[in-house]
Amino acid sequence: MSVLVVRGLTKKYAGFLLDGVSFELRPGRTMGLIGKNGAGKTTTLKSLLNLVKPDAGQVLMFGKDFYQNEQDCKQQIGVVFGGIDFYRHKRLSEITNVTKRFYKEWDEQAYQRYMKQFSLVPNKRVNELSSGMKVKYMVALALSHNAKLLIFDEPTSGLDPVARDDLLVLFRQLVKGGERSILYSTHITSDLEKCADDITYIKDGRVLASADKGEFVRAFQHLRSPGEAEDLSLEEIMIRTERRTYDV
Amino acid sequence: MFSLLHKELRLAAHPNLFIFTLLGALVIVPAYPYGMVFLFGCLGPFVTFTYGRETNDLYFTALLPVSKADVVKSKLLMVVLAQMAQVLISIPFAFLRVGLLPEGNPAGIEANLAYYGFGFMIYAVFNFIFLTEFFRTAYKPGIAFLWAMIPAVIGVLAMEVLIHVPSLAWLDSVAPQDLRRQLPILLVGMLIYAAAMPAAYRVSATRFEKVDL
Repeated sequence: MSVLVVRGLTKKYAGFLLDGVSFELRPGRTMGLIGKNGAGKTTTLKSLLNLVKPDAGQVLMFGKDFYQNEQDCKQQIGVVFGGIDFYRHKRLSEITNVTKRFYKEWDEQAYQRYMKQFSLVPNKRVNELSSGMKVKYMVALALSHNAKLLIFDEPTSGLDPVARDDLLVLFRQLVKGGERSILYSTHITSDLEKCADDITYIKDGRVLASADKGEFVRAFQHLRSPGEAEDLSLEEIMIRTERRTYDV
Repeated sequence: MFSLLHKELRLAAHPNLFIFTLLGALVIVPAYPYGMVFLFGCLGPFVTFTYGRETNDLYFTALLPVSKADVVKSKLLMVVLAQMAQVLISIPFAFLRVGLLPEGNPAGIEANLAYYGFGFMIYAVFNFIFLTEFFRTAYKPGIAFLWAMIPAVIGVLAMEVLIHVPSLAWLDSVAPQDLRRQLPILLVGMLIYAAAMPAAYRVSATRFEKVDL
């Protein structure tokens, strides 16, 4: 059974249309949601989480209609929006003490273990953490309530290469056991070369392709220039697909 | 709901909400326009909602396993809790004042039953407008506060003006026979408050449901 099935997700804004986005995420897989800035990645994530009210579409999470079972489904997910700070002046321990009350499956021992593994100090305030550590804290919260689906929106944006690599190693570990899945939106496609199993490419609000990474890459090989022997990277696929010419 | 209210008080509430709540004690000040107490009771929620916007509180809350309607309910309960605490804190000081300073308040209305009745009405009008306007967008507390403060200030001014009408002098009294005459004002005020909050919840929840975060 798929962890997440998105069908025909549509949201209309003045000047932008998220047009019938559909994809499917299986257990133990990491799906990279790629597209240039403004393509509709964040709108897709927000719409499927009901943070943004979609005009049409269906979201099945863990086999249930998400919009009908929002609270149940949210018990099993963890969401990390890169670049958004929550309660900057609060200590991690205060945020945790409040957050854990909402989750039926909160595991305090696991939480303590993750905090230690990620070198997070409970007495530190959010504004004292680096961007990478903030992501790790949110991941620690998600893992401590046994989240089966992790949704990341640009989690590595603004991080240095070492911090990015550190997080990517962590993300690979998270899905290794096959129990968790990750939906990972980013425009840093090199991250996905390292950790994604599936790719969904959104262009101008529409899904251009959604497939297993190998299959996805093969589907875009027609973009190779004559004489190019090697497979195109995700970055090259995106660049060549989005490339515009200017008649100036 | 208890978890959400706990979150409101521990994470979302600005420290000034607690300070403004404590200002219920101002009714002990010998000469002070006590109507200001209720305006502080309106200022506290505004500061907290503005702080919430800066700390991405609604965003964080919306990601928790709660419904959008519950988010509205918890915010509304926090406001009610702060205002009721402010009233409760002020009551012992109102009694103390009568005992310690029997000559009355030269700067405005006495802290009597009519005062509390008007106070509930001022809170009710402010809350209804502030909450319903805020949840129209969920990120513009300033505009909501501005619209809500206009009738609240007019209410306070009206209360302070009314006591200067000779035939309404009983509104500014703590004599037992005058307190009996003021009792209906208190009851009406409480009823208006009790009716306004569920109405504010219904309108706010409907509006917030349509808000894109």
